[in-house]
Amino acid sequence: MRNIAKTIAAGFGALSLAVAFAGTASAEGKLQEVLSRGKLIVGTGSTNPPWHFRDESNELVGFDIEMAKIVAAGLFDDPTKIEFVNQASDARIPNIVTDKVDITCQFVTITAARAQQVAFTIPYYREGVSLMLVKGGKYANYEAMKAAGSAVTVSVLQNVFAEDMVHAALPEATVDQFESVDLMYQALNSGRADAAATDSSSLLYYMKQNPDRYVDSGYSWNPQSYGCIVKQGDPDWLNFVNVALREAMTGTQFPVYKAAYEKWFGTSPAEPTIGFPAELR
Amino acid sequence: MDAFLAQLWIARWPLFDGFLLTIGISVAAIVLGTLVGAVVGISLVFAPKLARLPFVVYVDVMRGTPVLVLILAAFYIPAVLGLSLSATQAGVLALALFAGAHIGELLRGALQAIPPGQAEAGRAIGLTFPQLLAHVLLPQAVRMALPPWINTGVELIKGSSLLSMIGVGELLLRTQEVIGRNFMTIQFYVFAGLAYLLVNVVLDTIGRTIERRLGTR
Repeated sequence: MRNIAKTIAAGFGALSLAVAFAGTASAEGKLQEVLSRGKLIVGTGSTNPPWHFRDESNELVGFDIEMAKIVAAGLFDDPTKIEFVNQASDARIPNIVTDKVDITCQFVTITAARAQQVAFTIPYYREGVSLMLVKGGKYANYEAMKAAGSAVTVSVLQNVFAEDMVHAALPEATVDQFESVDLMYQALNSGRADAAATDSSSLLYYMKQNPDRYVDSGYSWNPQSYGCIVKQGDPDWLNFVNVALREAMTGTQFPVYKAAYEKWFGTSPAEPTIGFPAELR
Repeated sequence: MDAFLAQLWIARWPLFDGFLLTIGISVAAIVLGTLVGAVVGISLVFAPKLARLPFVVYVDVMRGTPVLVLILAAFYIPAVLGLSLSATQAGVLALALFAGAHIGELLRGALQAIPPGQAEAGRAIGLTFPQLLAHVLLPQAVRMALPPWINTGVELIKGSSLLSMIGVGELLLRTQEVIGRNFMTIQFYVFAGLAYLLVNVVLDTIGRTIERRLGTR
């Protein structure tokens, strides 16, 4: 026990010392560093469709991947000049802080607490929670489920907040928690649950993979914004990434963003209006 | 079952690559760990007391720390010091250091289990220390250390699955990627479990065969 305590203490000591050194090290900016390297190093995952996952030919694909390609295209005029570093969700912030990657695009929910440790880019998507129903099932939509009160059972991924999350939309519903996504969907298919509640994007993707079997309830809640993250202390780099993402959502690169959005979410984003830049209103 | 086999066929090469990487990482770790362990084990028994101290600290720290913590430390601590190891390099480093401590300890145990009369007899007939090690002590110690050494190998193969946490594309991560795409959680985890079991059973069998041939207890 004392040995472990010593190890941990020594580890923290070394780490804090190293952080102190690293803080003063970077002479040239990240933007120049990336340009002269000739490729962008992007941290992301590989197990969560439609965000970042491997398709059947083992290529990394998804909406996060497309966002990274937009940044790479802005840098090199070539969206393929990217080295992806595979990382677990818990590694997103550490890998930025320790310079393992230039940028991470991995459905990072923007929160003020996280913004104390890393710099967030502008959001590129707003995630919510939706309810998926079997087509032609007992309930047609959200209103019917709400009217049915406690007769409704909702399957959801196991999570500390799962119960509250469902009750925010359906206060009286019974909540069945499952520990994996496929079990959650199976509960819906087998009739154990009347609806499955999870991230809107995941549901959209799943419905697109299984056409004509499911319907959306028509109600979404629990908004959260997704942005990329970069290291703090380099405003030029952050600004570059922001410009690349913003112009993909509102300007010259909109067709690229639109194509990615349609491919992974199955619907089209609203076209930017010509004239006054509406995002500044 | 048909759906599973169809998905398995689509994913055969990534899974096979992951399987090979799992074996490659484990072999690299056990080879490096054995080299480190040999030095550590011999030093723990024969080095003068003060020179022994760093080895004692090394063994205690490595054995007293969870492998996952070692892996994360090997991945992040060199990075903040400005030395960027790839995830695979960091993973092999962590597993090798972990194995080195365990092998060092089991070699120390084996060396100390040899009756002191043997070393005394060796010295009495004029053997130098390297000769004594090579001809008298190590041949006996290695035989005794073999069964626990195989055991360490089995632990390493299982431990290599933790490298999925730092993004090494070994068998477990490749399996999770397939599951992420097709939602066949149970089928593919069972498949990965059987693959790990297969490697470990083969390793165990090889170990037993060698033990029999060497006539260890």
